Amino acid sequence: MSYSTFNRKHFDSMKEPMFFGENVNVARYDQQKHPIFEKLIEKQLSFFWRPEEVDLSTDRKDFQRLEEHEQHIFLSNLKYQTLLDSVQGRSPNVALLPIVSLPELETWIETWSFSETIHSRSYTHIIRNIVNDPTKIFDDIVTNEEITKRADSVSIYYDRLIEMVNLYNTMGMGTFNVPGKGDIEISMPKLKKALYLTIASVNVLEAIRFYVSFACSFAFAERTLMEGNAKIIKLIARDEALHLTGTQHMLNLMASGKDDPEMAEIAAECQDEVRQIFIEAAEQEKEWATYLFKDGSMIGLNAQILGQYVEYITNVRMQAVGLETCFATKHNPIPWINAWLVSDNVQVAPQEAEISSYLVGQTDNNLDDSDFDDFDL
Amino acid sequence: MTLISKSTNPTKNDKVHRVLLGKKQILVTEEEPLLIQLERAGIHVEYQCREGYCSSCSIKLLWGHVSYPFEPLAWVQSGYLLACCAIVKSDIEIAFFD
Ligand code: FES
Ligand SMILES: [Fe+2]
Ligand SMILES: [Fe+2]
Repeated sequence: MSYSTFNRKHFDSMKEPMFFGENVNVARYDQQKHPIFEKLIEKQLSFFWRPEEVDLSTDRKDFQRLEEHEQHIFLSNLKYQTLLDSVQGRSPNVALLPIVSLPELETWIETWSFSETIHSRSYTHIIRNIVNDPTKIFDDIVTNEEITKRADSVSIYYDRLIEMVNLYNTMGMGTFNVPGKGDIEISMPKLKKALYLTIASVNVLEAIRFYVSFACSFAFAERTLMEGNAKIIKLIARDEALHLTGTQHMLNLMASGKDDPEMAEIAAECQDEVRQIFIEAAEQEKEWATYLFKDGSMIGLNAQILGQYVEYITNVRMQAVGLETCFATKHNPIPWINAWLVSDNVQVAPQEAEISSYLVGQTDNNLDDSDFDDFDL
Repeated sequence: MTLISKSTNPTKNDKVHRVLLGKKQILVTEEEPLLIQLERAGIHVEYQCREGYCSSCSIKLLWGHVSYPFEPLAWVQSGYLLACCAIVKSDIEIAFFD
């Protein structure tokens, strides 16, 4: 079945499944099979922001004053985030648009991807501001082994789905020999399984993989360092929270069978594999934390605390898609992060962005009684 | 540790409900969402958006009723509630991770 940019068939799009039904023809939003995607579009549009609005002049001075191992932590996270958003800025479009069957979902995918391009542009804004030669940083993303390892795991499911959909669109069903890859079987259950695993891995990317970097950015900001960066990260985190809700809805709708009964069977069949995707990502992020802190920790954070946070957030995300949690960490070891992640004070200028929460293990000589107001055991 | 507020008598105000959480008992009203009232009682609840779109504040609802003044954007798993926007409508029992 080949893709058409304007399907001439007459059909009721309210009866189509989210994916692998008819190609969308009329982009209409007056009726929606799954109104949630229309609501996500509206919310995302209301979040619109531009990186250039955030003033980073103080960050430049801050960065120069950071110790070398702290610069390593900061830059490595920035590189990793650049990788993740490079993937996210194109892949939902490339992988999902050819197979989507609902206009509201199609537009959500485009809106979602577009917001990722803002994230990517914000990294250029940050990097340009703190170093004289951005090329060095960007080049390292494709050569640094610690980063490229991650590129493999974040793109593998997307790439497989794209390859299978290409075959499906040109050749139809059957088994095809692809030079260098061997035989690839294309059938509806195989395509749906590849899709389900892709959505799960995207959920993991947006709901877990970003959070180590978020924690580091906010730990700098707790010391009133790199506050412009923290403001940008807050805006990115707000968008990501919406994106992860999008993939949670897709996964839960698929698993419920309400959208496509065959998808429910596939979801049930894939449960273990999906669990494994979550667990593996968590392990990789813990490794990443170790790499970040290889030359020294930063005040308030170390590899162990970050590792516990990864386990904790993974539990939260697994529960949200109906999976049994799998890590022993049941409490957030860095509860102060939530005050930074919350979006209601996003509009506050960075120099006013004082957060009264505490930092684990922080040594601060300027404590007074009020600093303990939010102390939480 | 058990938190029982003695200052409010539930029988005098039918809009006050008990929230059971393990061995703790917290009294809440229908005036505000559950999250903020739990926080005031000194209980840490995970959150991010506080607006119903991120699902971070999802906690188990073992029994009892809650309602949402607006439909949250986040998926609410059956048997769970979103603390940031749920209004408690009866005595309830909640639980964090097992
Ligand atoms: S804190 Fe985001 S849904 Fe409740
Ligand atoms: Fe992003
Ligand atoms: Fe995203």
